[in-house]
Amino acid sequence: MSVAVQLIMNGLIIGSIYALVATGFSLIYNVTKFVHFAHGSVVAFAAYIFYLLIKLGLGLPLSIILTIIIASIFGAVIDWIVYRPLRKRKASAAVLLIASIGLMILLNSAILAVAGADVKSIPITNPVFDVWGARITQLQVIIIAMVFLLLIGLYFFMKHTKLGKAMRATADNNAVAQTVGINPQKMYTYVFMIGSGLAGVAGILVGLEQNLFPEMGTSMIIKGFTGAVIGGMSSVPGSVAGSLFVGLVENIGIWWLPSGYKDAIAFALLFVFLLFKPKGMFGGKS
Amino acid sequence: MISAYFIHLGIMFGMYALLTLSLNLTVGYTGLLNLGHIAFFGIGAYVTAILSPHMPLAISIPLAVILAAAAGTLLALPCGKLRGDYLALATLGFTFICGSIARNWISLTRGALGIAGIQRMGSNTMIVVSLLALVLVVYLILKWFVSTPTGRVLQAVRDDEVAAATLGKDVFKHKILCLAISAGIAGLAGAFYAHYITFIDPSVFSINELILLLSMLIVGGLASLEGSILGALILVLLPEPLRFIGFPSSLVGPMRAMIFALLLLLIVLYKPRGLLGKVDLE
Repeated sequence: MSVAVQLIMNGLIIGSIYALVATGFSLIYNVTKFVHFAHGSVVAFAAYIFYLLIKLGLGLPLSIILTIIIASIFGAVIDWIVYRPLRKRKASAAVLLIASIGLMILLNSAILAVAGADVKSIPITNPVFDVWGARITQLQVIIIAMVFLLLIGLYFFMKHTKLGKAMRATADNNAVAQTVGINPQKMYTYVFMIGSGLAGVAGILVGLEQNLFPEMGTSMIIKGFTGAVIGGMSSVPGSVAGSLFVGLVENIGIWWLPSGYKDAIAFALLFVFLLFKPKGMFGGKS
Repeated sequence: MISAYFIHLGIMFGMYALLTLSLNLTVGYTGLLNLGHIAFFGIGAYVTAILSPHMPLAISIPLAVILAAAAGTLLALPCGKLRGDYLALATLGFTFICGSIARNWISLTRGALGIAGIQRMGSNTMIVVSLLALVLVVYLILKWFVSTPTGRVLQAVRDDEVAAATLGKDVFKHKILCLAISAGIAGLAGAFYAHYITFIDPSVFSINELILLLSMLIVGGLASLEGSILGALILVLLPEPLRFIGFPSSLVGPMRAMIFALLLLLIVLYKPRGLLGKVDLE
């Protein structure tokens, strides 16, 4: 029994980190209408920046704030240098996808070249609790709480602030949004900043909870993207539900399969959903 | 020693030329943005590596080609209805799944340790000569194939799928055919790789290799077979100076990947038709 509780807990914890990645990703997807595959590499970049700042002795609070700011500026710079010229040329979503995969490899390799291939970890004190026979650390409680506070905050931001409404208008209908005076380029910059800021938080949490390695970005985007696809890419709450589902399935799945198959489970889910239910669990027919 | 180096470059070029030519058939001529190509290469390499201890190469290599083509057909069946970025993502998922299987089905593939001591195909000179001859043959066959009625239907599918279907062409069947041929050629390249390097591990399914293929294809240009050969040649030679500059070996790998990714980005940004391309990437 306690093993089941532990697996479900593990699934929810990692699933909530995936949810953060998926939310940033699907926000960007909804406003810009293309798959920003390098989003996972922004998570990895943030994790390494965070590691560096901690190593420099800046302390936890300052490192967290700086990492989020750097990540969100980084996202805006990516959009500005790579995606904006392509959009100007009216390149198709497939071309933008290819560019984003190229960007992902570029960032992953840059991290590998600068930081080295060895696995890094950030040391923190982390007391362990016992919950229904499962072991949960203090950090894991903080992760779940923080992710849900952030997502609720994001929900209110999108629903009730002027900027959030303007973003949703651009997502719904770019042309009409322009006629009422919303500058789409500005919205793209903002959405990349917000999405990458969320990626920054995800990078910090992953860096604290797991280890850092150069390829971590690929794994993060696959999980986040799978979560977003399962939940329906156009729905942010759906992405959250989908990501929790991915976290649960891959953790419960290792009851039957060797743990090496953890990643394969996510890929198989992704493949099945893209083929048969591309609009997600809650969406209609393609 | 120097000639051994050039023979190695020749073999690498031949292998990548085969891969790029066949990828051009799906992406350039048929307009299917297929990111599963490297998986067919890996399948070809693994099949012959696993089978060759039990049978002559003259049987295991054709089996590798057939199984890779079968995998292509299998991928085309569910993906035939998808287009554009959805197709790209589903086929990318296929590459990841194949990599996962190679890493985890340890009793068959020996997992991350890889398969060592694969039988050599022959002397390096023999490999380079037969491989380059094969590139020429594949080039000529594809050149002929794209001008046949079937090949022209493929290009019609790329330009306007609905129009092709309206004219009574079986779009789905042509897509399957295209992927099967292209996957078979990639599998053959994989078999050459396995019997030349004599060692394979799951990294043959890596996304870095996939980016390298895409760079070769797009640098050379879509729907241009000459472009594919040129693209493969340029990208095989481009990172070679890194070997001689004297970077530590831990840096050479990531620098190579960075060069390929950067080149792909620059080409997509500033010269989307590549050097000899005839159509735009869509």
